[in-house]
Amino acid sequence: MIETTGLALGLRGLTKRYGAVTALEPTDLDIGAGEFLTLLGPSGSGKTTLLNLIAGYTDPSGGTIRIGDRDVTRTPARHRNIGMVFQSYALFPHMTVAQNLAYGLEARRVPKPEIARRVEAALALVQLEGYGTRGVQQMSGGQQQRVAVARALVIEPDVLLMDEPLGALDRQLRRQVQVELRRLHLKHGRTTIYVTHDQEEALVLSDRIAVMGKGRIQQLGTAAELYARPANSFIAGFIGESNLPEAKVTEVTGGMASAEVPALGLTVRAPVMPGVAPGAPARLMLRPEHLRILPDAGEGIEARIAEVIYLGELTQFGLETAGGAFLVARGMEGRGLRQGDIVRLGWSPEEVLLVPDTGP
Amino acid sequence: MNGRRIEVLALLAPALILTLVVFVLPLVRFLSLAFTAPEGTFATFVALAESPVYRRVMLNSFVVAAVVTAITAALAWPLAYLLARVRGLWFTLMIYGVLFPLWISILVRTYSWMLLLERHGPVNRAIQAMGISDTPLPLLFNHTGVLVGMVHVLLPYMVLPLYGAMRAIDPRLMQASDGLGAGLWQSFRRIWLPLTLPGLAGGATFVFLLSLGFYITPALLGGRTSIMLPTLIVAFITEHFNWPMAAAASIALLAAVAVLMLAATRFLKLDRGMFAR
Amino acid sequence: MNRLPLPWRIAANMATAAVLAFLVAPILAVIPASFNKASFIYLPPKEWSALWYGRFFDDAEWLRALMNSLKLATLATLVAVPLGTLAAIGLSRAGRGLALASSALFLAPMVVPIVVVSVAIYRSALDVSMNGTLLALTLSHAVLALPFVVINVGISLRAVNPAWPLAAAGLGAGPWRIFRTITLPVILPGIAGGAVFSFMTSFDEAVLTIFLADHSTKTLPVKLWETVRLEFTPVLAVAAVVMIGLSVALFVLAQALARRNGEKA
Repeated sequence: MIETTGLALGLRGLTKRYGAVTALEPTDLDIGAGEFLTLLGPSGSGKTTLLNLIAGYTDPSGGTIRIGDRDVTRTPARHRNIGMVFQSYALFPHMTVAQNLAYGLEARRVPKPEIARRVEAALALVQLEGYGTRGVQQMSGGQQQRVAVARALVIEPDVLLMDEPLGALDRQLRRQVQVELRRLHLKHGRTTIYVTHDQEEALVLSDRIAVMGKGRIQQLGTAAELYARPANSFIAGFIGESNLPEAKVTEVTGGMASAEVPALGLTVRAPVMPGVAPGAPARLMLRPEHLRILPDAGEGIEARIAEVIYLGELTQFGLETAGGAFLVARGMEGRGLRQGDIVRLGWSPEEVLLVPDTGP
Repeated sequence: MNGRRIEVLALLAPALILTLVVFVLPLVRFLSLAFTAPEGTFATFVALAESPVYRRVMLNSFVVAAVVTAITAALAWPLAYLLARVRGLWFTLMIYGVLFPLWISILVRTYSWMLLLERHGPVNRAIQAMGISDTPLPLLFNHTGVLVGMVHVLLPYMVLPLYGAMRAIDPRLMQASDGLGAGLWQSFRRIWLPLTLPGLAGGATFVFLLSLGFYITPALLGGRTSIMLPTLIVAFITEHFNWPMAAAASIALLAAVAVLMLAATRFLKLDRGMFAR
Repeated sequence: MNRLPLPWRIAANMATAAVLAFLVAPILAVIPASFNKASFIYLPPKEWSALWYGRFFDDAEWLRALMNSLKLATLATLVAVPLGTLAAIGLSRAGRGLALASSALFLAPMVVPIVVVSVAIYRSALDVSMNGTLLALTLSHAVLALPFVVINVGISLRAVNPAWPLAAAGLGAGPWRIFRTITLPVILPGIAGGAVFSFMTSFDEAVLTIFLADHSTKTLPVKLWETVRLEFTPVLAVAAVVMIGLSVALFVLAQALARRNGEKA
């Protein structure tokens, strides 16, 4: 986690309900000054609701929002001093680039010469010097995205919010802009909350990631923490790829558990995450890169190769076990294997994990 | 939430008040006069229903509206068809030809027809020159005049929905039908015609409704021989000072309009096209 | 369907040409009619002259009717445009039920036959002794023009991305600044289009005005209506040409505005 110098944003019990539907369960969240935090989740997970609550575009059903030492729970959006980058950019089409950037400063009644100076500085920050007089519709998608970021930054916001800002860009451009956004954050150093459903984006950009699902933060942590120790099967499947066969836990002792895994036809001993208990539904997290095709017959479990996908450096295998499970393995071994071959699979016990099952 | 409701109501209020005070209130007050005839609450409606004169006016209104609808449909068909086909300059010229008349006052358009159709006007002279008739034909102040004028005024209202429906037809449908071995007539009857029917029905509803409510054109071109409901309503007031009868005739007219509108929105989903947000 | 047989295509083209001629040509007949030298209209004129244009503009009654029309159309537009614009914005923010009910009410004057509307308003104006007054004429013309403003502005409002006002608010702008700097510039062509339609609706309105206007507030269409069955002089054709001229000017203006509105959308 990046060095932080105090709290930029604090949420306590923040909730949003629409009639009987709960869009956001009571949520606590603290974000340090200068931190880059990503809200990662599928659509309908509550991430956009949370962002709109912080921005002030939606009124909460309960809870409080603090920015620095101000309670802004009832403050209208225009007095929150938050910079927002919309998915559609929401650039004003009837204004030039410079007029778009100046908009927030004019609303703040900043003197004209200072507006000009700050607009120039913001354009330089996003490497769009000299584009001030262009109409926004003459800009390419990537340029528009940078204008949107510059417009949000030029008001010197306490918090920068970004709602899937790369969603409108094509795949290749997206990679490039991710790196730019990361560099830009190092330059401006503003507290940033970033919403996306793309886990790769989250991994590249964030200091910490809040994985959202079913209207709540499922787990909060660094990318490495989430990958190595996912709190439940939802996160295990969402951050990176994973085989997640069902497991029947029989006993838990000292952070380790024994569990029957019917799909593999054996009993495993593996580390556990909190919440795993005998009788409670659980799943075994088996990452594709941790699943190895063993050279010797006799050990591991038997499986039939159902598909072979050549990925260049790596090869990916789709495997059917005798117990009827479909597993994915990926690695540098197994070059000569073909569809239909019978192989044996193994893994190191410390690389697998038993996690609570959150259901499909 | 509450503040938002108040804001919305404040925005709507001035226009709502104007419409209520200057339109709804006068309309309700006027229509309620129908039940104030000295002979009894429903005497006006009884009079309307029993008098052969009034019955003939109402029948005439519907007949004229139906004939106007049929003629406009026949004329609009080829125009809408070509409008849906052509592009570029020809399209611009044609669509302006359809839209431009809508911008000219109905009174002016009717007056033009008075000049053209009069006894010694250019139309009659042309008829005589071509030897169709030796004497000038009576084209004005009868059914002929009313029909010509109303068809002219209402034609664009038929062309536009028909054109909309025809333009929406994917040309590949006809190619597909062709590829499946259907002949030209079959493709037309089984594909083209059914797909243009909603446009035709929409246009027909428009034209029929507007015909029923027409006043200026029948009054100027129809004279005394082709009286329609609106003319009757005005006559009740200006000639007989009989407000209850005028109100009763208005209710009859409104009822016909309402029934047609309901049927149209029910079966054609017109509302989605007209008030789509 | 370009594969229609040639004879059919020729027939369709000729039919179309005939129908288009039927739509446009009769309207233009009043133009040669207005240039007759004789004191009765003969088409085409045997002798051409602009004599009757002079008569029209020298006649105090015709001139006053024209002025009344222009004044009334301006006043009705000044009432209908702000009210209709506010209403359209309100409709775009209202809940579904309220929006449907209100727009039905605003559009009703377009659906109810004009004769019924006219007679009803005439009766109420009589009851409150306001018939013939400019106020009654202005307000009732504004009611007839209102739906055109609501529809035009409503269409242009659809070009306003809902994220723009949010973005503006996030940048610190209050409701009035957002309206002035974001919403208004985008919907301005729609408002202007609504104004043109309003002006045209009022300027051409005949039925209601026949009932409501008195001698001093008589408009050009009413004067035309009154004279049409009494006289056959070319001065009527001149009045008709004046009305067509204004229509054409506004038609061109409306097309230009519609194009701008379309570009923004």
